[in-house]
Amino acid sequence: MYGKKLAVVAALSLFTAALGANVAYAQKSGGVLKAYHRGTPPSGSIHEEATNSTLTPYMPVMNNLVMYDQSIAINSLDTIVPDLAKSWSWSDDKLNLTFKLREGVKWHDGKPFTSADVKCTWWDLLLGNGGRKYKLRKNPRKAWYKNLKGVTTNGDHEVTFEFGRPQPAILTLLASGYSPVYPCHVSPKKMRTAPIGTGPFKFVKLKQNESVKFTKNTDYWKKDRPYLDAIEWTIIKSRSTRVLAFIAGKFDMTFNADLSVPLAQDVRAQAPTAVCERVMGASINLIVNQAKPPFDNANIRKAMVLTLDRKSAIQILSKGENRMGGAMSPPPQGVWGFTPEFIKTVAGFGPDVQANRVEARKLMEKEGYGPNNRLKVEVSTRNIASYRDPAVLLIDYMKEIYIDGTLKTIETSNWHATVARKDYMVGLNATAVGVDDPDANFFENYSCGSQRNYTGYCKPEMEKLFVEQSMMSDQKARAKLVLQIDKRLQEDAARPILYHNQNFTCKQAYVKGFVAHVNSLYNGWRMEDVWLDK
Amino acid sequence: MTDVDHQLELDKAGANINSRWDAVLHFAKNYPLAVGGIIIVIMFVGMAIFADVISSHDPVQTNASLSLAAPSANNILGADMMGRDMFARIVHGSRISLVVGVSSTLLGGIIGVVIGLMSGYLLGWFDLIMQRIIDIMQALPLLVLALVMAASLGPSLENTILAISIPLVPRVARVVRSSTLALREMPFVEAARAAGMTELRVAFRHVLPNTLAPLIVLGTAQLGSAILVEASLSFLGLGVPEPHPSWGRMLSENAAEYARVAPWLVIFPGLAISIVVFGTNLLGDALRDILDPRQRT
Amino acid sequence: MGTYLIKRFFLMLLTLLGMSVIIFVMLRLMPGNIVDIMFDSAGFVDPLEKAEIEKELGLDRPIPVQYFDWIWGLMHWDLGFSYVSEMPAAEELGPRIPITAKLAIMALGFSVLFGVPLGVISAVKQDTALDYTLRVISLSGLSLPSFWLALLILMFSVAVFNDIPIYMEPPENLLDELLLFSIPAAAVGFRSSALIMRLTRSSMLEVLRQDYIRTARAKGASENSVNYSHALKNAFLPVTTIIGIEAAFLIGGLIITETVFNIPGVAHFLVEAILMRDYPIVQNLVMLIALIVVTVNFIVDLTYGALDPRIKYGS
Repeated sequence: MYGKKLAVVAALSLFTAALGANVAYAQKSGGVLKAYHRGTPPSGSIHEEATNSTLTPYMPVMNNLVMYDQSIAINSLDTIVPDLAKSWSWSDDKLNLTFKLREGVKWHDGKPFTSADVKCTWWDLLLGNGGRKYKLRKNPRKAWYKNLKGVTTNGDHEVTFEFGRPQPAILTLLASGYSPVYPCHVSPKKMRTAPIGTGPFKFVKLKQNESVKFTKNTDYWKKDRPYLDAIEWTIIKSRSTRVLAFIAGKFDMTFNADLSVPLAQDVRAQAPTAVCERVMGASINLIVNQAKPPFDNANIRKAMVLTLDRKSAIQILSKGENRMGGAMSPPPQGVWGFTPEFIKTVAGFGPDVQANRVEARKLMEKEGYGPNNRLKVEVSTRNIASYRDPAVLLIDYMKEIYIDGTLKTIETSNWHATVARKDYMVGLNATAVGVDDPDANFFENYSCGSQRNYTGYCKPEMEKLFVEQSMMSDQKARAKLVLQIDKRLQEDAARPILYHNQNFTCKQAYVKGFVAHVNSLYNGWRMEDVWLDK
Repeated sequence: MTDVDHQLELDKAGANINSRWDAVLHFAKNYPLAVGGIIIVIMFVGMAIFADVISSHDPVQTNASLSLAAPSANNILGADMMGRDMFARIVHGSRISLVVGVSSTLLGGIIGVVIGLMSGYLLGWFDLIMQRIIDIMQALPLLVLALVMAASLGPSLENTILAISIPLVPRVARVVRSSTLALREMPFVEAARAAGMTELRVAFRHVLPNTLAPLIVLGTAQLGSAILVEASLSFLGLGVPEPHPSWGRMLSENAAEYARVAPWLVIFPGLAISIVVFGTNLLGDALRDILDPRQRT
Repeated sequence: MGTYLIKRFFLMLLTLLGMSVIIFVMLRLMPGNIVDIMFDSAGFVDPLEKAEIEKELGLDRPIPVQYFDWIWGLMHWDLGFSYVSEMPAAEELGPRIPITAKLAIMALGFSVLFGVPLGVISAVKQDTALDYTLRVISLSGLSLPSFWLALLILMFSVAVFNDIPIYMEPPENLLDELLLFSIPAAAVGFRSSALIMRLTRSSMLEVLRQDYIRTARAKGASENSVNYSHALKNAFLPVTTIIGIEAAFLIGGLIITETVFNIPGVAHFLVEAILMRDYPIVQNLVMLIALIVVTVNFIVDLTYGALDPRIKYGS
């Protein structure tokens, strides 16, 4: 019943979202949007962070060259619209991408925006060139621009990106909320503490554990935007408390994808007028340390993949709402993931878990394990419920194939360091990808030498396929190849995906003009079209 | 002094009684709250010892079909998010609480006794340094100290016990030291010394038994507060980690989030903590009354 | 008296100095530092970038150097910078201290208003049903996990009043502030009142037995005047002590309460800063708490002397 209702809601929201661009509202200006935030943002500098704690509140401060149409729920190459770039064009050899920039745009401190800002954002800051005195402290998305070989300006309002090989999908990365243009004259420290942008809202103040506030940019280059006078985020660390506060009507909006399935259910029951939209969260995956015996043994790794009961995990943790899939987010929200028909052809995803486990036990017995000689392993994971809960399930599933797991929880402060040191046997990890595009996902998580490729999976033939799909301009043909690549990744147990989380973003009915982007958490928060119908 | 008080109490409680049963009744009449406390504590300890017998469910066995199941004949206290039986988890959770409570009390108590005895006996530099360390330890509230300790040691059962036991040390050491100071001049202690007993033996034979009364009072109080501090640390994310069914952990994160959908997740572990701590407090109060009769008429 | 005061004062300084060493070393023993946490949101740790940030924050220097740097700063009223917000630690802590102070005073007031009268009643009506009931109520206050109680209050309030009494933005006037803080203060104060009530009760009992009370009774003073004026005055002494100790106990209780009610005071801040390994915040805050506790104890000692002429210092 509930599942059906959800599906209808999701379908309806997609429909209205698709229409969104054409529907003429009688928008009202003014008002303060009050939302809650889940914790103090680590900083205000989007380029230095890889978390929606920073991205969600700060995206309205900035502008991109291009962005995803804020009124369309599913991001793809087709939904990219101009932002600071008025237009863009590829050279004939598909190696150069030229942007014509908007004129008369001003940074929040009054300085003019020019092509030099674009060049220094990508060439100096992100690629670390140019010997500029300012450097980013952290640069988590360096891998996105591996193929960028140069940035040249032509006057104040034109800039060209030069690539080593054709990469049509680079636009999908540039359109992400993670790709804002930074001002050249502002130091990275200032960007972290009080960022300056060209966007519809100006940063006002951050109080740790209390609030972060933004006010309308009255001088915004898009003349009739934004509608809101201000956006105020109140920071509430305890999820139960903040959801109660939303139910009590204290907030206009929840944080980005903050609600799990049971919580969204609670909100719907208690605050029936609120509107909750389902969005794709992180994928929960297994990392197995192949350097540690006996996990260097392919049979044992295969047995571990076979014993996974994805359906029961999804049932337990999300009442059946989370989605089964491979590396790419599955449809209907995801553009590139396994379709329901295709998934049946992928090993280990079959419905008959018992049959899989019989096979898995045989593999284990072959390696000398059995009811009286059980393998003892430590399952490491981060000390956060969304990691811990599936880890407890994993231990349960491994029991079926003569493996006794004990849970080792690792504090957030140490989790990535532990993984980087390869100081674990079996780990449970969550991976969120900035953009629903294979270029972002494959190069970040499965490519040789990438920092986020935790298990060190590295196969030359796969590397070739990654590049091949990236160079294709026919997106339909590309999708077919991507399915095959993803299948290989799952069957190789590169990083077996247990499920894709489904989360919800809720707002009160009077909040209009906000469309939750369903296949990425990081692209739909410009907030310039949002208004309050009060 | 307290040895005499024991005698007084025994006389008082045991005046004109013949059978043991009468003694029990008499005690119950004089200390009704203590009896309540004793019953609760015995039930708690019994639950921890016989956990496997009391509950037929496995406290860590997950079950998809029972996720957030409401209380029923099969799961009398319902089931949690992972479909684990709440009754089994609460019954088994008593083990964690008991282990944390008793071990941290013993550990803190032993360290405190050793420091206190040595301070009171050796005096001089050792005493001076120990007193300063104790001052430092007492300059922070228990939870703050435990919080910093737990964070720097990392979350595990052993570290939680250690973090909770440390704040007990200065209190025990203070009590033991002052009793030692008072007792070492007593005639019977001097006599023992004159009879050729070594200082150490004198300390353990004569001084320690005489400080037992205040130590027992401190210990019972610590038992309850250890259980509470463990729960608080777990609530703040620094206590005993999963999959141990700790009561405090059961109340943190998930439980609070699903409290409205599944109130049994919050109500029962909270009740369990409250009742057990209440029991130890009742017992502690009564023991204080009995062993420290200045506070009673 | 004078020499005693000077001695006490130097011991206080010594305690604080020892505390500063211990907290400083303990923080650096913690697994993972702020830089690891910074990289957490990036999904990986870049060793080169990490080394640069550690250098920028001065974390690559030997621990004794870092320690003396901190103490040197403290002596010049320079608390350093919060690693998380990159703002001066004094600016981060300053606005939060009054919030916690107000909450603590309200909670202390509540626990005294609640604890002392109940303790007196309980002592006067010793061993009656009323005495037992009051003792059970006060003990139950000590036994409820404070976060559980707070959670139940929040859930109840949303279910019944469709309102949630948490801190969301700075209150506009004093009345609002008092209202906002009253529920969390009561939640903390209820717990602390148990200790106060218990001590009031036992010291009242002790005083009631003493000779001069018997004399007062024999002289025909009415029962009430004996109980409430003579006895209470004398029982006040130990109660003052416990109130002093309570002040420290309260700070512990406030950690949980501020967290649940989302109050942006220093106690809540301490937990967050520990989790974030924000050393400058944690070490300065811990020193502040220690300073408060030590000072309160000192003042309690002095009050003790003022209230009870039998006590002489210096022995």
